[in-house]
Amino acid sequence: MFQVFSKKTIQGVEHSGQFARFFAQSVSASASSCLQASSYSMVWAQMNVIGVHSVPVIMITGAFVGMTLAIQAYDQLAGMGLEEHLGVLINISVVKELGPVLAAVMLAGRVGGALTAELGTMNVTEQIDAVRSMGTDPMRYLVAPRFLACVFLTPFLIIYADLLGILGGFFVSVVQLSINSRAYWQFSAAGVELWDLSIGVIKGFFFGGAIAAVSCYKGFTCKEGAHGVGQACTEAFVGSFILILALDFALAVIFKAIYGTIWPIRILLL
Amino acid sequence: MTEQGEQTNNVMIRLDGLIKKFGNNTVLDGISLAIERGKTTVIIGPSGCGKTVLIKHLIVLLRPTAGRVFLKDKRIDDLPERRLDKVRTHYGFLFQGGALFDSLTVFENIIFPIKQHTRQVGWNELEELVKAKLALVGMDGFQSYYPARLSGGQKKRVALARAIALNPEVILYDEPTTGLDPIRADIINELILKLQKELGVTTVVVTHDMTSAYKIGDRIIMLHNGKIIADGDAEHIHHHPNSVVQQFINGQLSENDLAALRLGGTKFQTQFLPRDFE
Repeated sequence: MFQVFSKKTIQGVEHSGQFARFFAQSVSASASSCLQASSYSMVWAQMNVIGVHSVPVIMITGAFVGMTLAIQAYDQLAGMGLEEHLGVLINISVVKELGPVLAAVMLAGRVGGALTAELGTMNVTEQIDAVRSMGTDPMRYLVAPRFLACVFLTPFLIIYADLLGILGGFFVSVVQLSINSRAYWQFSAAGVELWDLSIGVIKGFFFGGAIAAVSCYKGFTCKEGAHGVGQACTEAFVGSFILILALDFALAVIFKAIYGTIWPIRILLL
Repeated sequence: MTEQGEQTNNVMIRLDGLIKKFGNNTVLDGISLAIERGKTTVIIGPSGCGKTVLIKHLIVLLRPTAGRVFLKDKRIDDLPERRLDKVRTHYGFLFQGGALFDSLTVFENIIFPIKQHTRQVGWNELEELVKAKLALVGMDGFQSYYPARLSGGQKKRVALARAIALNPEVILYDEPTTGLDPIRADIINELILKLQKELGVTTVVVTHDMTSAYKIGDRIIMLHNGKIIADGDAEHIHHHPNSVVQQFINGQLSENDLAALRLGGTKFQTQFLPRDFE
């Protein structure tokens, strides 16, 4: 029992170390790719696959989040006669938490799974070794374009999710629940600050990095055979999901501290 | 120049006491080997004996647990990946399954190493280059095909064209004839001979196909239990006194194994059962 626990702990530490090293290499390769114009075409191609193709599914996710929030929260607020404040609740939840997190989770499923499957198949068919054998760094050729595309496009996708979440909430609140449109927007504008919108978007950079790093790592280390690739995809999604939630918590703590320190004196700073 | 000096100059790749372990399993156990320039060296051995692990050490796709790898007298196994990228342009590597990039056409596969290492090559020049490389392996006209549309033999020929795209000094072949019918396997053998003759490259082939080994090998090395147990030309290997070598080259089980098989036993005494080293 103790031996099994010890073995699992050692394996866990070993995997964490390998992942940290892989992440550092990804960041380094991505930074050098940013400085090489020849890499831009590869980044552009990945942006199309990862970003543009994800827009519809992210918009659908955002819309349903907004609409569901409106339905769920209406009864509580209406009971207190505060239904016109529904916009504040929906919009702050969407832009600060649910939009970024659910958009990232959706991306982890759609993009992360595809990245792991693609790189995992390349790994087991020796295509990654082939890249190395031709004197090319697979981190620069395969990981960096995907990492950069995820890091830079996840915030934009979150903006799409936020936009549709806001519109979805507005549609249900005003059209279905007959809340006064003017009051809805007035309370929303008063309750949601630029800060709330910003931190949701900033989270996107971290979530995008986490999805790309975990998915590429799992693809690069996947075991042979169809089972190996399938298992790597599952692990990539679960790993990305947990990392997104953990990052969300950590960033919430950090942003809260920053908000508490800087936001009250922002007028003095500007 | 001394005789020793001439010998050193003639060596393209040298392995010195190479040991490779995966966990507790020792796959290569102190291999020392000098591969001659311009010759074809064939490494034979049963499946799972570590032939692929050995050939991947020649280009440092795997790092040794102990021992050293030299290319033209320069140690390469301790170089960082960034510096190895440059070293690897001296090699062409034909992988067992071809390892062509699925998402790229034949043309794009072949220009991949050229684009990575050559600056400002014109499109017409690239087209001419790809045509010439494909013509060498008898695959001109397949430029627009994706690998999924090619047969096993065609994939290996295209992979070979890609392997020679940078005019390497060394070509490494990992099981080049595995999975091919005898005719297509012979086409690959002929291509290996042709490239060796026309390009004057140093060739290292890993195989368990004895027909292929006898046909193309200037020198044949047999690997068993992580050690070299036979080393010489085809004639030497053919008449080697070691029973393990004879068993392997004749593709025959020992009398004891045959008896065990007839009795329905599962405990074969043969030393050729593949080892699970990963």
